[in-house]
Order: sequence, then structure tokens, then C-alpha cells
Amino acid sequence: MQASHGIFGIMVREFHRLLSRPLYLFCMVVAPLTCCLFFTTLMDNGLPQNMPVGVVDDDNTSTTREVLRNMDAFSQVELTASYESVSSARRAMQQGRIYAFYYIPKGTTDELLAGRRPKVSFYTNNSLLIAGSLIYRDLRTMSVLANASVGLETLRAKGVTDPMAMTFLQPIVIDTHPLSNPWLNYSVYLNNTILPGILMILIFMITVYSIGSELKEGTGRAWLAMADNDMLVAAAGKLLPHTAIFFVVASLYDLYLYGVLSFPCHSGILPLLLASLLMVLASQAFGVLFITVLPTLRLALSACSLWGVVSFSISGFSFPVMAMHPSLQLLSNLFPLRHYFLIYINQTLNGYPMVYAWKSYVMLLCFVLLPLLLLKRLRTVMLNYDYIP
Amino acid sequence: MMRKLKEFNQLSGEAARDVFFIWRNELRRVVHDQGVLIFFILVPLLYPMLYAFIYTEETVREVPAVVVDRSGTALSREFVRRVDATADVRVVARTGNMDEAKEMMRRAEVYGIICLPEDFSREVHRQEQAYVSLYCDMSGLLYYKALLLACTEVSLEMNTELQVERLGNSTSRQDEVATSPLQYEDVALFNPQNGFASFLLPAVLMLVIQQTLLLGVGMINGTARERATFHTQLIHAGRRGTLRLVAGKAFCYFLVYVLVCLWTLVVVPRLFGLVQIPQAFDLLAFVIPYVLACIFFAMTCSLLICQRETCMPVFVFTSLPFLFVSGISWPGVAVPDFWRILSYLVPSTLGINGFVRINTQGALLEDVAFEYIVLWIQTGFYFLTACAAYYYMIGESRKKAMTLN
Repeated sequence: MQASHGIFGIMVREFHRLLSRPLYLFCMVVAPLTCCLFFTTLMDNGLPQNMPVGVVDDDNTSTTREVLRNMDAFSQVELTASYESVSSARRAMQQGRIYAFYYIPKGTTDELLAGRRPKVSFYTNNSLLIAGSLIYRDLRTMSVLANASVGLETLRAKGVTDPMAMTFLQPIVIDTHPLSNPWLNYSVYLNNTILPGILMILIFMITVYSIGSELKEGTGRAWLAMADNDMLVAAAGKLLPHTAIFFVVASLYDLYLYGVLSFPCHSGILPLLLASLLMVLASQAFGVLFITVLPTLRLALSACSLWGVVSFSISGFSFPVMAMHPSLQLLSNLFPLRHYFLIYINQTLNGYPMVYAWKSYVMLLCFVLLPLLLLKRLRTVMLNYDYIP
Repeated sequence: MMRKLKEFNQLSGEAARDVFFIWRNELRRVVHDQGVLIFFILVPLLYPMLYAFIYTEETVREVPAVVVDRSGTALSREFVRRVDATADVRVVARTGNMDEAKEMMRRAEVYGIICLPEDFSREVHRQEQAYVSLYCDMSGLLYYKALLLACTEVSLEMNTELQVERLGNSTSRQDEVATSPLQYEDVALFNPQNGFASFLLPAVLMLVIQQTLLLGVGMINGTARERATFHTQLIHAGRRGTLRLVAGKAFCYFLVYVLVCLWTLVVVPRLFGLVQIPQAFDLLAFVIPYVLACIFFAMTCSLLICQRETCMPVFVFTSLPFLFVSGISWPGVAVPDFWRILSYLVPSTLGINGFVRINTQGALLEDVAFEYIVLWIQTGFYFLTACAAYYYMIGESRKKAMTLN
């Protein structure tokens, strides 16, 4: 190993190092691929189906039963149990057996017939936000339809035809087009960002670990000597093998999500791979930044953990950046996952021309070039730094 | 008989003393190790505050949208005005040109296009159905939700008014009865403002306890294994004392985490005005087995950590799968059986579920009996595996120390 010099010698040396510790295999291959399988199978349904909902029907007439039958037909809701009182239904909710319940008070049918506009209630558990919102959406549709069906009966009795009745009941109709994800598929919505986010954490960590362990084990000088003390050659020789492996893993993600699971991809394969490559390189660059600024393996890894975990919240794929504090909106620009997410939206999901995402491309490129400014400092660290554990 | 009793007393007294010494040594180790302090104190202290700051707005308001009003009549302008007036949507531009609207969408200046067709008013006045097209950018489901909600509400409101106009009933009461015979009421329990923080933070708070323990204990043991000093933590160098070692250390972590729990589970929710309606006793009774299960889980998992720093690459990313499998964001009924059963091996799954129900939904201990019992089973199980793991690590460290010398 010592015999060969230059960038190839360093690459061979790095491959030996990668094989010498199971940690590398775990973090570079096993963990990212397991996470991919985990998240895609977890959200296999796309949209949660048949969420259990309870009923408290104090009235219990043929009319109320008809209303409830209608509701059961909705795909996301399944009436699983009926309870004798609101408090026992609430109890069932607290026990996690139902996500919502429907309450029909006594005398509803009588009041309906007498034209006194009775009120029925729907209780959703909104501490589980996604389940709560999905059920709420069904309730909205349901209430419109139920009212329409009661109104339809009245109009039919007056001799009005059905199409005329519908135009009377709904003069203005909202025709919704959720672009690019018409199924409102949660797997599409979340996995395109969660999986690259996890890969980014691991890239941060592995980059820092591989450079930091040279520091810790005191092998930094030998590593630099192989590149005749040229930090650029040394770093490239060390990190390019990682780039190759991580890029293969990221491409496997792309292949699996868009090829096998057929997630919407309106950009074609090349922009997809370009985004993946930029993501890998930008994350490695961040790793170099962390270990250069904090030349202690432990501290640099702590910084990686913080940056990696916070990027999930601040990238805005679940909670929009525009609703955050202005300072956080500015800060979000410093997270590679944020830009990867914006590029994904622009390219893969919507298929817009690349120019509309130019800012994100430029930012990622800046991240990639960042280590060039740090090489001198990293070299000094490698040659002179006394390691603090 | 008497002698045996005396021996037993002596032995248990000695064991208690050893446990106490190990506890004290461990506490000293924790306090003097900056790396461990970051995980045990700094992260639980600051991380929840950072999250609360990110989600401080709770929900997204005033989503920007562009209107393509091809109708240009009083009725269409009224529709747009009312959509703009809702809290959810802000109309940032009006244009007659769809291409212009699409361009704004591409530039991410708007997240939705509301398109009113040329014949909008004509259709309504001819008593036909008029369609308003709503195009949503699907980069965030919250944008979609806000746009859909605002447009639907406005259309329902205007529909009712149009019906009233056409009916020409004599009283407004009659109008109401004819247009909507049933009234609906939606009650959002346990999170009335549909807030993001009230929904996500309780789960994150519980998860932080488990993850920081994994990292901290991993770092402590990784350090000792790396330096081959693991066996020197025993009080009697030559003898085995695994049980005392595990007990003393667990006791130390438990005391630290009593304080951590007090901060993350009691003070933080109060500080940020999260929904908090627990029965104090039930919460306390539930958190004890959770912390114990997490401690022994972390002690067992530290078997994977051979070096001081490797706890981070190995454990940090697991937070995401652990969070998602708990059934708080992705509904528990939609979690496939395979993952659900596997997830019962992790304390956070049960801990998060139980905590959200007790703290946010006001459940009693008996309502979370399943979670509570499984946590105690985990405590017992992971205690045994922790003993096995420490037994192994003591032996490993002895061997390594011998070869080093």
C-alpha cells in the first residue's frame, strides 16, 4: 500500500479502510437501503384507508341509519363500533381504538321532519393531525352530500328532475386539480425528501468520520505524505470512493422510487441523477466543513447530527418554510436538503424547466465548492493539531 | 440458619455499597465527560425549544394564489373577494391569461391558480352549474389543504345565497330549512387549532429521551471499550460483578433522566402552551417504566458501539423510522403488521403513544394498559440483555487489556 503514491494510491488505501470497519458498510449501504425499504413499505397504501370511526346514535331511526350507511361507504372511514354515550366514545378514542366519532342526538329525525334543522356532531382526534384532517375532509363531503340528498328528496317531491335539482343545490362547483400528485399519495409526498434526508445525515457522518479518524489515530501525516502534502489530492483520493458508493445508493433510490414504484417523475432520468449527484457532493462538502471547523471527531459528528436532523424540519416539506419565523426562512438556505427539496419539486414533481430552480442549483454548487476554501486550514489541522478526544 | 442469615445480610450490604460506589463513579464520569453531557443535558434542554420555535406558527395562513378571472363579472369578483378574505388564502395577483398564471406558479410566487371560466356568471344565471377550477401545487399538503378549504367554504356560502335568491321564500327561516336541513358541527378534540406543534412536539419530546440515552450510554461504553477500561469499573477487580455494575449505572442514568423528564415533559409543554391535560399520577406512573425501558434498551444497544464516536453514525438517523412507526403522523392503523409487531421492540413506540394519550388526550393509566404492560416487559427483557451485554463487554475488555500490556 505504501509503495503506491498519488491519488490512486490514496483511493486504494481508502478502499482498504472502508472494508476494515463494519461501520462503513452499515452506514453507507445497509442503513440507507433498509430505510428505503422501511419507509416505502410503511406507506405502501399511499393514503390511509378505513380508519376506525365510532358512532353514538341516540336517535336510532331508519333515517339516521341511512346517514351512517352513507358515511361507511367513504373509503377512508370505517364505522367499527357504536357506543351508548359520548363519554364512552371519548374513552374509546383515548384508548386509541377510534380516530373519530359521530354523534346523533335523540330526536334528530323528528326535528328534521318538522324542519327545525337539527345538529349532528363529528368529533375528530386532532392530536393525530393527519388522521384528523383526512377524516375532517370526509366529513365536509359527507355533510354536503347528506344535505343534498335530503334536499333532493324534497325537490323530487315537487316534481323537479335530478339534474335540475343538482344545479339548484350546487350552482357553483369547485373542480380541484392537485397537480402532479392527484392521488394525494403520502408516500410520494414524504419519501422523496425523507430518504435523501437520511442519506444526507449518513454522508455528513461518514465524511467526518473518515477524515476525523485520521486525526484521531494520528495517521493524517502519512495520508498527506502519499499526496506529497497536497491537500486537494489527498482529499479527492479519500472522498471520491465515498462519492461513488453514495451516488450508487442514491441512484438505487431513484431507480426504486421512480422505476419500480412509479412515483411521478416529469423531468426525465438525467436531471434526476444530476440532483442526486449534487446532493451527494454537497453533503460531503458539509462534512469537510464540519471537521475542518471543529477538528475533533466527537464535536464534528455532533454538529452533523444537529444539521442533519434539523434539516428535516427546516426544509419545509412537511411544514412550509413560508410559515416560519423570517430568521428561520433565511437559515433554511444553508441546508442542502432544502435545496434538494426545491429542485425535486421543480424538476421531478412538476417537470418545469431547470432555470426556475437556478437558485437552488447555484447554492448546491456553492456548497460543493466550499471545501476548496478550507483545504489550507484542513492541511494545517492535519499536520499540527493535537487531538482532543 | 442464623449464620446463613448473617452471611446474607453481609452480602447484601456489600452489594448495596458496591452499587452505591458504581453509581457515584458513573455520575462523576457523566459530569466530567463533555461529550456525554451534550447528549444528557444540552440536547434535551435546547432541542425541544428549537422545534417549538420552528413550528411556532402552528399552521400555514395566507397561502399566495393567483386568480384567472375570464368572466370579469360582479359575481366572479365577489367570489374572488371572499376567497381573499379568508385567513387561509391571499390573492396576490389577478390576470386574464392562464400562461401568465402558470409562469407565476413555476416561479413559486403562488401555490395555486383559481380559474373562473368565461361563462361563469352566465351559467349561474341560466341556472346551470358553473365550474371554478382550482389548480394546486402539491409541494406541500398544507398549501393544498388551505386552498381547497377556502374555495369550498366560499362556494358553499355563495351556493346557499343563490338558492335563497331562487327560492323566493317568505322568511329566511324557510330558506335555511330548504337549503340545509341538517346542521353539522365539527369538534376538533385535543388540538382545537389544528396546530403542527401540538401534534408533533409531544412525540418528539418522548423520542428525545430515548435517543439521547442511546447516544449518551453508547458514548460512555464506546469510550471504555476503546480504551479497554471497561472491566476496571468493577469494584472488586478480580471478581464478576455484572449485576451490580448494571444496577449502579442504571440508577445513575435514572436520576439524571428524572430531571430531564421534568424539563421535557412538564416544563417545555407549559412553556410553549401545548395541550397538556394529564392526570399527574398516571403520567408519573407511565413515565417510570418508559425511562427504565429506555435505559436498559440503550445499555443493550451499546453493544454495537466499539468506539467513543460511532454512537452518532449508528443511532442518529434511527430517530426518523422510530418516529414514523409510532403512529403519530402516519396513522397507526395504516402501519403494516410486520413493522407494527417489530416496533414493539422499541420503547419509543409505546412511550410516544402512551404519552400522547395521557398528556394530550387526558387518558387514564388503565386506558394505556397495553403500552404500560409492554413497557414493563421491555424493562425486564432489556435488563437481562443489558446484563448479558455488560458481561460480554467486561470479558472483552479484560482480554484486550491483557494483549495491550
